[in-house]
Amino acid sequence: MRTDTARTANRLLLAAVRHSAPRTAVLCLTSAAGSAAALLLPTALGRALDLLLRHGTAAQAARWTLLCAALLAASVALDAAQTLLSGTTDARTTAWLRDRLLHRILGIGPDAAARFTPGDLVARCTGNAATAGTAATAVASLVATLITPVGALVALTLIDPWLSAVFLAGGPLLALLLRTFAHASSDCVARYQRAQGAMAGRLVEALTGARTIAAAGTAEWEAARVLEPLPELSRQGHRMWQVQGRATGQAAVLVPLLQTAVLAVGGVRLGTGHLSVGELLAASRYAVLATGVGVFVGRLAALVSARAAVARAAEVLAVPAMPYGDRKPPGGDGELELRGVTVVRGGVPVLDGLDLRVPGGSSVAVVGRSGAGKSVLAAVAGRLTDPDAGTVLLDGVPLPRIARQELRREVGYAFERPALFGTTIADAIGYGVDRPAPERCVAAARAAHADDFVRLLPGAYQTERARAPLSGGEIQRLGLARAFAHCGRLLILDDATSSLDSVTELRISEALAHHVPARTRLLIAHRASTAARADLVVWLEDGRVRAVGPHGRLWKLAEYRAVFGGSRSEGAADDGS
Amino acid sequence: MTGVELAAQGLRFLRRRVRVLIALTGWSLLEAGQTFLGGYAFARALDDGFLAHRTAVGLWWLAAGAVGIAVGAIGTGRSFRGVAGLAEPLRDALVRRVVVGSLRDAVAHPHRADTAVVSRLTQQVEIARDSFAGLVMVARSFAFTALGALAGLLSLSGALLLVVGPPLLLGLAVFALSLRPLARGQRAFLAADEAFAETVGQTAAGLRDVVACGAEDYAGRRVRARIDAEYAAARVLARWGMVRVAALGVGGRLPVLLLLVLAPWLLDHGVTAGALVGAMTYVTQSLLPALQSLVQGFGGAGTRLTVVMRRLAGDGDGQGSGKRAVDGRADSLVRGEPTTPAVELRAVTFGYGETSRPVVHDLDLVLPMGSHLAVVGPSGIGKSTLAGLICGLLKPRSGEVRVGGEPVSEREPGQLNRLRVLIPQEAYVFSGTVGDNLRYLCAEPVPDDEVWRAADAVGAAQLVGRIGGLDAVVDPAALSAGERQLLALARAYVSPARVVLLDEATCHLDAAAEARAERAFAARPGGTLVVIAHRISSARRAERVLVMDGARALCGRHEELLEHSGLYRDLVGHWEAVGPSSQPARALRYPDGVNAVAGPGLAVDRGHVVAHRAVTQMQPAGDLGHRGALGGE
Repeated sequence: MRTDTARTANRLLLAAVRHSAPRTAVLCLTSAAGSAAALLLPTALGRALDLLLRHGTAAQAARWTLLCAALLAASVALDAAQTLLSGTTDARTTAWLRDRLLHRILGIGPDAAARFTPGDLVARCTGNAATAGTAATAVASLVATLITPVGALVALTLIDPWLSAVFLAGGPLLALLLRTFAHASSDCVARYQRAQGAMAGRLVEALTGARTIAAAGTAEWEAARVLEPLPELSRQGHRMWQVQGRATGQAAVLVPLLQTAVLAVGGVRLGTGHLSVGELLAASRYAVLATGVGVFVGRLAALVSARAAVARAAEVLAVPAMPYGDRKPPGGDGELELRGVTVVRGGVPVLDGLDLRVPGGSSVAVVGRSGAGKSVLAAVAGRLTDPDAGTVLLDGVPLPRIARQELRREVGYAFERPALFGTTIADAIGYGVDRPAPERCVAAARAAHADDFVRLLPGAYQTERARAPLSGGEIQRLGLARAFAHCGRLLILDDATSSLDSVTELRISEALAHHVPARTRLLIAHRASTAARADLVVWLEDGRVRAVGPHGRLWKLAEYRAVFGGSRSEGAADDGS
Repeated sequence: MTGVELAAQGLRFLRRRVRVLIALTGWSLLEAGQTFLGGYAFARALDDGFLAHRTAVGLWWLAAGAVGIAVGAIGTGRSFRGVAGLAEPLRDALVRRVVVGSLRDAVAHPHRADTAVVSRLTQQVEIARDSFAGLVMVARSFAFTALGALAGLLSLSGALLLVVGPPLLLGLAVFALSLRPLARGQRAFLAADEAFAETVGQTAAGLRDVVACGAEDYAGRRVRARIDAEYAAARVLARWGMVRVAALGVGGRLPVLLLLVLAPWLLDHGVTAGALVGAMTYVTQSLLPALQSLVQGFGGAGTRLTVVMRRLAGDGDGQGSGKRAVDGRADSLVRGEPTTPAVELRAVTFGYGETSRPVVHDLDLVLPMGSHLAVVGPSGIGKSTLAGLICGLLKPRSGEVRVGGEPVSEREPGQLNRLRVLIPQEAYVFSGTVGDNLRYLCAEPVPDDEVWRAADAVGAAQLVGRIGGLDAVVDPAALSAGERQLLALARAYVSPARVVLLDEATCHLDAAAEARAERAFAARPGGTLVVIAHRISSARRAERVLVMDGARALCGRHEELLEHSGLYRDLVGHWEAVGPSSQPARALRYPDGVNAVAGPGLAVDRGHVVAHRAVTQMQPAGDLGHRGALGGE
């Protein structure tokens, strides 16, 4: 599995490079050429300077000066090309990767949500993808960043082997020396974060008590309470800067001192006539360029982190998308049949060889203690997830054979906590395969008892959803309205009325029976009242059907009654305004 | 906030910190000294030492340069303290602004209080701090490096400065001109990135719904549009990056060429070989890298800072005074005329938004002192709105609300604490001692035994004991929702206010605990209790019940309402209507068996609910939610 992911990661990395192959190749060439120009320039400068100082022939000096000009111009041009190319290539690769990720996430469906949390998916699509997007350019410029320090060291050796000897000996020595001076790292970062966390915690506390604070008029006092850790935060913040300053100061001596050492030896060699002024100037520049090995290490680290980010994307892409068929279900009342359906979650069977037939045109309630597998049954019934074994048929056709859009037109869902989409309330209700007519949306809202509160909103149906203060019960009713506005032959309500008071629920179920076109209704229920109104009740226990029958008959069983024992009392009211 | 305002604010901020700026300048001058010495010592080492065949002198000059490097490093290290002296106060001010502003918003719109502000408190404030510090560092480093290098050029030969200076200025000018469009591009990119993250977040969080609705194509198109927008913004930025390269080429690379081209002329005019090499060193080793970090760091950090500052600016300006506004005004309810009603609503109309249908319409309601009212109705009908109106959190569009004879809309919430207390559904317990939590609403000190008595009365004494007494520190996260509600109830009981509004404040308690708490409040001397009922059993305990419906509000005793209100019958016993076989009746036959206490009758007369009159008839009591009953118009 691990090697599998690694292989997918490498394949994806290659694919990313291939996706922008011409750009990557050009980028590789320009950055190599840029390094070459940077390496040639000090030598050309030194030679030109020597010719000028020794008053060599004007023609010679002019030739070398011209070469310097050409090299400088090339540096600027190559630098510009590199900036443009790497910027656009990064953006292009990132967009390509995001597109693939998005496509796959939508293709996997709710199973993706089961494997990755939404926050995790966002992180993979945003920051991770942006980092992964630099993979192609990181590969392309890696060679060039190695050319510079190696070339500089070679150039240093060519000028005078003593110089490179000093450089090679002095570098590690200086680094070691500095290390002994380095202070132990401080704990101020942890303390800083702790103070920050304390304030955030107090603020969240106060915000959850906003209504109490509003009524008590204690907002200022609360602000002072939240800000209590601020002086500590400031103290630790100052310490952080001090620690950083010390580290930076120490690092700032390394390269200049190394350069000075090279210059000192070079100066002595100049005095003895082994070196010219121009060569010394070139050597001082090469000493700096040779320390560019740090740039190479940094680039390598960037490539490593880009590859790690690619691997994170590959993990998502390794999950297969849900395949759909191309059939349209034949005419029917929405008869649902489950044959030997088994669903395993975390090694434990949640549904265990379940057989169930829901007659077309009926309303069937599914009840059971929490953990009995009710929600998984709801997910399997409308193919939000595929069972690990067994088949689910809608009017005789196995669900995987039905085309995606046909399936979603015929099967509607409403959830306990629906996620709403679209800009306005009207958009949220109309969200689906096809956009229903406005009248149908309003009728659906009325059936879901959402019309009333929607009309109380500042812009009624055109109110921006983000600006409408909606309670849990109101969101639930909008979710119901969305399902009512679209549903075809089968409607699945997964605890979709849990936040509503009994009266509202009763009225909605009456509307559901008379005003909603869905023929077959599958209701996951926690309340006895919901079960009582259904034609049939399916009693689940440990992933199997314990009994099927009308509520009235089952109610005689004490164990059946106990299923509802833990539920909230019946007058539960939810108030959103 | 415009850029000009932001700049003015920044200037004021800096003017208050002159001493920090002076110290920063001092340490930076050490760095400038290092830069100066770097080229100068090299030039002298060549001219006076190596080229003059006096190797020792040359080495001494180089040693002097090395000392300069060490001293300059100290300056670099110390300059961080100066940066801290600017960045830390900025962060403090921003944190204060975010906290005060978000609390103010939360108080103004409690149902909109969202915890996304935490990201503003941690992430965005940190971005502001880091980018501001980066800005200061980059600008400072460039300024002092340039100062050292230019001074060095001048001391080697004035002619060198003439050669290097103009292209450097030209490069800076190109960069300065590109700053504004560059900032625009960066803002667009940041905005695109955030929009993308937001859309992906919504889609990922609602993936189940997207698939269940079959809206993959639509959702995909929406996200793809964001991806494309960000791609376009990134391409624009990459193009502007070329301008930076050009600025760098003109300012940092052109001087090298000029020095070379003009070398014969310079050498003829008294510039030594060492001086020429020194000048080249200044340009390639000091000016070019400094210009590079300026060009690369300044634009990005500056844009991030302005974007974040603008976003944070919406949070208000201020320093919390830390004082608690509690008014010492004498409370007319406690000693006042017994005939003054505890709560009085006159022709109150209220709606959210200017044009929306009112939630409460022309409501009259009078509660005498010592009464006990339960408010029931379907969800979303406006029960919490009514509570908000009574306690002065919401201002009616028209009409008047009085508590203890005082008009609530003319009082600050802090002043109303002596009159009424609201305990909402989401109980507020903060990290602090139990005693501080319970005395939260008391302006004057309350002795421990009185606090204990209150805790005992509402059934919270055992909990307080378990936490460790009144002086123990409570961690709200370690308490269950029900335990938090118990503490909030005890707080309300300790408070001096005689009118208590429980807005589903007992929803996480079991039925017995709820009954105990409600009875404790009802039995409180002079106490008036309004319960927004979560369970119908609350209505059975109340003397009077207000039934809120889309079209009508009815007020009366339990038995009267059973007879006259279909909705109330539904709420209490709709089971009978569903079918005889489905009777989890135990939830509806009140185990506590409390009957409504006979109190002064409530009459309903022409849309008014008035106390102190015999019940003559039950009629609609004011339109609550004007026209349009449940089920449409």
